[in-house]
Amino acid sequence: MGRVRFLIALWGAKCARLALKLLRRNATYFPGFLALKLCPNFLRYVGKPKKIVAVTGSNGKTTVSNLLNDVLTGRGHRVLNNQLGSNVAAGIATSLLSGCTLFGKTKYDMAVLEVDERSSKRIYPYVKPDYLIITNLFRDSPMRNAHPQYIASFIEGTVPAATRLILNADDLISSGICPENPRVYFGIDRMKTDVTKCVNLINDVQICPVCCGELEYDYRRYHHIGKAHCTDCGFKSPESDYFATDVDTEAMTMTITDKDGGMSYRLLSDSIFNIYNVLTAVAALRELGLTHEEIKAGLDKTKIVETRFNAQKAGDVTVVMQMSKDKNALAGSRAFDYISGLPGKKELILMMNCIHDQQHWSENVTWLYDCDFEFLNNENITRIVATGPRAKDYYLRLLFAGVPEEKIRCTLSEMDAPALLEYNAGESVCLFYGTDALDLVYRVQGKIKALAQEASGR
Amino acid sequence: MKIEILYPEICYLYGDLMNVEYLHRCLPEAELVRTSLKTPPAFLSGDVDMICLCSMTERAQELVIEALRPHREKIIELIDSGTVFLATGNALEIFIKDIENEDGSKLEALGLFDLTAKRRMLDRYNALYLGKFGDIDIVGLKSQFAHAYGDGGDALFETVRGAGRNPEAKPEGLRKNNFMATYVLGPLLIMNPPFTKYLLELLGAGDRPLAYEQAAMDSYELRLKEYSDPKRGFIY
Repeated sequence: MGRVRFLIALWGAKCARLALKLLRRNATYFPGFLALKLCPNFLRYVGKPKKIVAVTGSNGKTTVSNLLNDVLTGRGHRVLNNQLGSNVAAGIATSLLSGCTLFGKTKYDMAVLEVDERSSKRIYPYVKPDYLIITNLFRDSPMRNAHPQYIASFIEGTVPAATRLILNADDLISSGICPENPRVYFGIDRMKTDVTKCVNLINDVQICPVCCGELEYDYRRYHHIGKAHCTDCGFKSPESDYFATDVDTEAMTMTITDKDGGMSYRLLSDSIFNIYNVLTAVAALRELGLTHEEIKAGLDKTKIVETRFNAQKAGDVTVVMQMSKDKNALAGSRAFDYISGLPGKKELILMMNCIHDQQHWSENVTWLYDCDFEFLNNENITRIVATGPRAKDYYLRLLFAGVPEEKIRCTLSEMDAPALLEYNAGESVCLFYGTDALDLVYRVQGKIKALAQEASGR
Repeated sequence: MKIEILYPEICYLYGDLMNVEYLHRCLPEAELVRTSLKTPPAFLSGDVDMICLCSMTERAQELVIEALRPHREKIIELIDSGTVFLATGNALEIFIKDIENEDGSKLEALGLFDLTAKRRMLDRYNALYLGKFGDIDIVGLKSQFAHAYGDGGDALFETVRGAGRNPEAKPEGLRKNNFMATYVLGPLLIMNPPFTKYLLELLGAGDRPLAYEQAAMDSYELRLKEYSDPKRGFIY
């Protein structure tokens, strides 16, 4: 009966997928959703490739999945992926059903699947990964994700015992997951910009996970990412099997060494997140049996599509678009740190409000006080406009961060915000925006560009 | 004046630590004492004016209960003698009878108030909060896995909209003398300048201006207007 039900679900979902494609609609979620509705055990029955690599974590899972996919397909593998679709159970089901025959047999020899951390319980019991990459675990939305230990609990207990874990040695939250599973670690050697004392408000690993003693950081990159040891019991961060050294963001190179030797790799971006992403991909590809030379050749043909940062000239002004996921203090902190560190004078507009939340309730703003607005108290930042429904909260938070009152402007109307900036030749204007209400974001961007052009013509 | 923050290395979620930072900016002369798990609390020496405990993970709740259990009698003595306490978010649960998991297992807490918190780890409660503290309007947010049930004695706030100690209860939080505990997040003191003024007077700081008072009041008044709008949805 189970098999019959599965086939009905498969055919129904395949028809739905075909119909959506004919209608030129996105067919990356609904077919899998339908399949799971018709047959809750769909993931158990659907054919899976012989080798499955799952990629999960708070940051970098899409980029790492894309890098793996690019290198592996470049080497001639038929790789099933959910690159264009959803990373929850329905999205995984859609990918698997689209990659199988009418009788449910897979047409692929390998899968690289990006998996939402919270969906682990619905996926791993059926889609058993040979390798599970956990990029890192950080705080996300306080409403959905609470805290990283909560997210870790979704992964703990669902990963099959034989799954080999590829973990971040520099992240003491994810590196301790599923201690009985076979594992390798990747990490980055001390960098020039590392510190020992935490400069961030979010600092989620301050005590030893073994004895609760005080952790001392040998070096710290940001938040809890770094290398630490316990002064009481001797616990320490794991040693890296894939270790990046000599990270050079000017020459855009780093060396990755493992038990078989090392190789100099090109950095695909100078952001620390993307340096980790390349290292993670190299570690996974080495585990899959590729040589350093093969990986390097593959990575040299790829690039990271930067979706969160974009800079364009409008007249004599550079207009920077910086996405910062809404209600995510960590994303905000990283974005503020990055932008404030860019050379040159700049003016900012903050509109990371959840516009959709505002339509039916009111945004949970507790994250504002976990986010490092203090990075914006910087002499190169000459003006900040707080805008949107939560503009007054941003204004108060900026004062709290020590930003001088005379630098801050405040308006509830996003479309009025661009007029509150000056547009000085050779300087930048940066718009921080959230992931919802992109239409409004583009309208504000258009107005910024128009005003910048106008100022340049004067 | 001395303000003690208990275990900030594990009690730091949802911006709650900024309540204490805000108090300090309003009372720059106050001494902040940060007590870690490995050091004895400063309140044992008896010269602390206020004790703060912030939101934490579920594992941290276990550690905090374990750390404070030996000092239970001293805490009772301090509450009876009028020391100011402020526990926010799930720090409230440290002081009640117990915390019950979905599988029926229980974590015994300090047992100062006759309430049981029932955790629902797959059913996180996210909502807005509008309540009253005497004549003062209170606004805030809730984001929690547990609600408290039972007769815990006097409430800190009386709920106008949203959930009290649990979705069916109007009383919110706990109040005994100057002991105050609430599930309301915000951070509470930054989001509620009139309540912060009350707290400063309670601490003997007199009627003094708050840090960033005008900006805090502007934000508070806008939020109060929003939350008082009957058309505004309250539960996420």
